[in-house]
Amino acid sequence: MKSSHFFRILHITILGFMFFTFKIYALETIDERVKKLTLELRCMTCQNQSIYDSDAEFSNDIKKIVKQKLQEGESEKDIKKFLAERYGEYILFRPLMNYNNIFLWSFPFILLIIGLFFVLIKTKTKKA
Amino acid sequence: MSSLVGFLSLVFAIGINFYLFLSRYIFKFQKQKFNLFIRFSSLLTLLSFFSLMYAYVVSDFSNYNVFQNSHSNKPLIYKISGTWGNHEGSMLLWLSILSIFSFFFSFTKNIEDDFQKLTLIIQAFLHILFGLFIVFTSNPFLVNSILINEGLGLNPILQDPGLAVHPPVLYAGYVGYSIVFSIAIAGLFQNTDNEWLYVAKKWSLISWTFLTGGIALGSYWAYYELGWGGWWFWDPVENISLMPWIAGLALVHSLMMVRGEQAIKKWIVFLSILCFSLSVFGTFLVRSGILTSVHSFAADASRGIFILLIFFIVTGFGFLVFLLKEPKKSNTLNLLFINKVSALVINNILMIIATLTILLGTIYPIIIEVLYNKRISVGGPYFNSTVIPIMIPGFLLMSIAPILSWQTNKINNSKKYVLAFIILSVLVLIQSYFLDFNTWGFVGLLLGFWIILASIIAIFSSYKIKINIKFFKIINPHVAHIGVGIAIVGITCSSVFQNELDFNLSEGDKFNINGKTVLFEKIETTNQINFQSLRGKFLFDIEKNQSKEIEAGKNYYPVSKMITSEAGILHQWNKDIYFILGDQKNNEWFVKVLINPFVSFIWLGVIIMIYSGLIAVTRR
Repeated sequence: MKSSHFFRILHITILGFMFFTFKIYALETIDERVKKLTLELRCMTCQNQSIYDSDAEFSNDIKKIVKQKLQEGESEKDIKKFLAERYGEYILFRPLMNYNNIFLWSFPFILLIIGLFFVLIKTKTKKA
Repeated sequence: MSSLVGFLSLVFAIGINFYLFLSRYIFKFQKQKFNLFIRFSSLLTLLSFFSLMYAYVVSDFSNYNVFQNSHSNKPLIYKISGTWGNHEGSMLLWLSILSIFSFFFSFTKNIEDDFQKLTLIIQAFLHILFGLFIVFTSNPFLVNSILINEGLGLNPILQDPGLAVHPPVLYAGYVGYSIVFSIAIAGLFQNTDNEWLYVAKKWSLISWTFLTGGIALGSYWAYYELGWGGWWFWDPVENISLMPWIAGLALVHSLMMVRGEQAIKKWIVFLSILCFSLSVFGTFLVRSGILTSVHSFAADASRGIFILLIFFIVTGFGFLVFLLKEPKKSNTLNLLFINKVSALVINNILMIIATLTILLGTIYPIIIEVLYNKRISVGGPYFNSTVIPIMIPGFLLMSIAPILSWQTNKINNSKKYVLAFIILSVLVLIQSYFLDFNTWGFVGLLLGFWIILASIIAIFSSYKIKINIKFFKIINPHVAHIGVGIAIVGITCSSVFQNELDFNLSEGDKFNINGKTVLFEKIETTNQINFQSLRGKFLFDIEKNQSKEIEAGKNYYPVSKMITSEAGILHQWNKDIYFILGDQKNNEWFVKVLINPFVSFIWLGVIIMIYSGLIAVTRR
């Protein structure tokens, strides 16, 4: 009983802040969007550094391109696609959700479901 | 000369271990004598290690390894740390730590003689494997074929006090799991009472504490030496150290549940084998040069294959024994909707999922490259959007788990917790409304503060407050969790609320940071023993009398022709102000200033975790 209270309150809180997020999401400036996007791109001339964090020539060029394209109204997805075609998928720190990477993206959640089942089954047998 | 001593003692130590290994089957001898041999071989291995260190200290360039990785004009501390600043030396360090663990284990009391002996025999077996690896593929005692009086120098990025101590501490963690592994295997063979689980608990806590320290040192180093302003980059090498850390954490937690439950015993053995396998696997990935990073030194395929072989032997052997000698039929777990057992089981499941996810993400690019001959990256964004959400229920659970009961699903004082949680959520929500709202920021702050708050409520409402050692031992789990909470707050603030300011400045310019005036005083170049330094000097808050001086710049190391960036950090309790000096253009310097709020909380949290690791070791 007590714990169901707990979960209900948690639920309401989560819904509450999701509402907040959506409201504020739209107000991002161009620079913030550039930051968000370049944080997910690899600086090809550095060692495991994102384009945002790097001051290498390559990174500065890409930052300019990204900013320009965002100002022209291209979506983040299009920009990523453009960069991946030009430099290869290696530039994307967030792997694409495509056929090749299905396993990569689904694996943790499959494990989570299996784990959940395990706990549920074990709990039930005890009660019976 | 020192090379000869080192090599001979190394080989001799391997020989003794071989003899000890055979003693299980052929020449059996008594415990006393057996332990003496073990200790003798440890001392020999250490002798070997120190003779390499001696060669480094006196810059004995007749040793090829010293010639390759040292230089006579380095400061003494980097000559010493240079011993493990290269592949061969670091493997010798690995072996030395292995033998130190055997040495101390041979003194353990209150376990059966046979059991101790068997554990040490498995240690001897590991010693032979890694010893042969060193002798055949990574011998640090090769003699230089030409006479030469200067060396090639140590990678300047490794010339740093933090990095001098990082490898030994980290290795103590990795290799410490060898003892846990050996204990678990010996436990499977002998299938005796549960006494060995307490011994395993002690050693796994020791290893985990070292590993925590090692990872923290490494990430602190990355914070101030790499000059990127962050401290965790989901770099493959970082991931590799994180895997045994999380698995080890699961192990430590499941060892809490030991009350003769067979199901759990099986799981503990599994985790013990997994932890050491992950350690060896990490060594393979780093040393084989498959992953490029600061750690990979010179890549050599034959070494990679040899370590891969060791990995398969260790893991294969471990899991084979596990399957064949499985502990007897299991009792059912006492899982209720919410009690301590179910909390621990859920926490273990989540940790293992996190470990496996990190493992998959780390090796996935390799798999794709082999299958499709295409290079992809699996970086921070992947781990952030898989591992962190998976861990969140675990974080919620850990706030109350230590006070849950073993038997029933009643929570004492549950009203207090619910009330505290509501008040906290409202407070964080209000706070986030005034600051920039950010989903991750909100979740992180709420979780972190909730863990701290719930643990404090638990301490005050469940125990009588006394100031003595026993009390600190009792509340230790809560203290550890408070440490985690503090670290989560620090992690959240420093990554989500980081602020960046860019300036183009000439000498003498004044600029503004958070309302404080900063003077860019001058640029200064000096010659140090082994590098040239370029420093921009900044005076922070010049309006006050006690303005603080910050130096940020670059070092140039002529021996290896490398430039390293040296960030200037002003530490305050609630934020770090992080100066990076960029390039000069048209007489103006590019200066990047990062404001990292509450970074110090991360290190404070880690220190608390290490403290409670140490306290837990002393507790039975």
